[in-house]
Amino acid sequence: MTRVRITALLAVSLCGVALPGRVSAHHSIQAQFDINKSFNITGTVAKIEFINPHSYLTINVKDADGKVQKWAFEMTGLAGLRRAGLSRADRGGLKAGDELTVIALAARDGSNSGLAQELKMADGRVFKLIADINNP
Amino acid sequence: MRGSGRIIAAAAASCLLTAAVLAQEPARRTNNAPPKPSGATPRTADGHPDLSGVWNGLGDNLNGVPNQIANNGVIIESETSARDLHSGQTIAVFPRNTTRGQNNEQAERAAALLRRSGSNRPLYKPEYWEMVKNLDHNSNEEDPSNNCMPAGVPRGGIPSYISQHGNHVMFIYPGQGGLIATQTMYRMIPLDGRKHTPLQDLDGTFTGESIARWEGDTLVVDSWGFTPNTWFDQIGGYFHGENMHVIERFRRDGNTLTWTATVEDPDVLLEPWTTTPRVALLNPRADSLLPESQPCSERDLSHLVTKEHH
Repeated sequence: MTRVRITALLAVSLCGVALPGRVSAHHSIQAQFDINKSFNITGTVAKIEFINPHSYLTINVKDADGKVQKWAFEMTGLAGLRRAGLSRADRGGLKAGDELTVIALAARDGSNSGLAQELKMADGRVFKLIADINNP
Repeated sequence: MRGSGRIIAAAAASCLLTAAVLAQEPARRTNNAPPKPSGATPRTADGHPDLSGVWNGLGDNLNGVPNQIANNGVIIESETSARDLHSGQTIAVFPRNTTRGQNNEQAERAAALLRRSGSNRPLYKPEYWEMVKNLDHNSNEEDPSNNCMPAGVPRGGIPSYISQHGNHVMFIYPGQGGLIATQTMYRMIPLDGRKHTPLQDLDGTFTGESIARWEGDTLVVDSWGFTPNTWFDQIGGYFHGENMHVIERFRRDGNTLTWTATVEDPDVLLEPWTTTPRVALLNPRADSLLPESQPCSERDLSHLVTKEHH
């Protein structure tokens, strides 16, 4: 079940101006994501990919009918992921099948995708990928 | 900075840095003025400067404008001031009414404007002005490097790794994420006095055909034979034709490497255009290596709903 909540984001701190800078995407963040709308979604890890131009997390989410839907989340750059503790699974990273809730900015085109901000694992681990969206 | 600052900073660094730069954990800076040289310039047995090494250190991203790799001649001097390296003029930065940091929307737009504030621009024939403007306006779809294509030459800028040998020089450009999304490029460039293949005999490629020679202590790399499917600078829709001729100049001073590129394309440009010099810093770690760069897989552009761009 997806819970959508609106969060006023005065400074998402994805890309920008305050020294020493923020994340730069190869596209405009706001052209793809609604910087004022975050949502939570719960599922299991299908795949995590450390690639350019953005790393991606794909999760399996069961819809109301019990059917599995894929959701794809753009993530911050490699250094940011490492700093957040995302590494090999046996060093505390994610592995396929892990249950988690993703907090993300919503895709403006309504697709099953988003910009991941925080990952909350079922076992209690939390990975904050970018700024605290509730305290920008 | 707030508690999340460390994450933001790390993420910011990751945007533009290649794996080579990541390996050295660049020092935090508050402006992106070109680094000053220090130390002696090493020389090879034949007396030429030795350009070998891992370059592009301190590739910070300040005010949304990356240093060295795509600075377009704009120096960020502080959070509220910038300067045009070419003209020396101060550039007005996005005005602020409060001390609060810009939100994402403001920051992206301010950085997009700042990148276009440099005065050193190529001069196209009038019949191409509209085309260049449209390419820039529609760069989300039109920029070849938004789709994981190699950046090409001279857009690739200063290689992250140079290996210099007696009769050739090797340049490696790790694939990037960040503002442009590119595949890894490498160039093996002869230094043995050979001449170019006639242009008409070359199939256009991303890095073209390059030959190198020494002019004093400056390594001059002369290239042609390009595919027209690259832009020759990071922003601006600066397309070129298949007859583009590029002359790059590399000069090492101690631990810095200064690079310029001159683009000659009389098919589309009114006059040759020379980049504002960029200065890379040698990776301070003598044992630094060039790690594998990540493959590039573009998945976002089909989800963009506006023309907002960098």
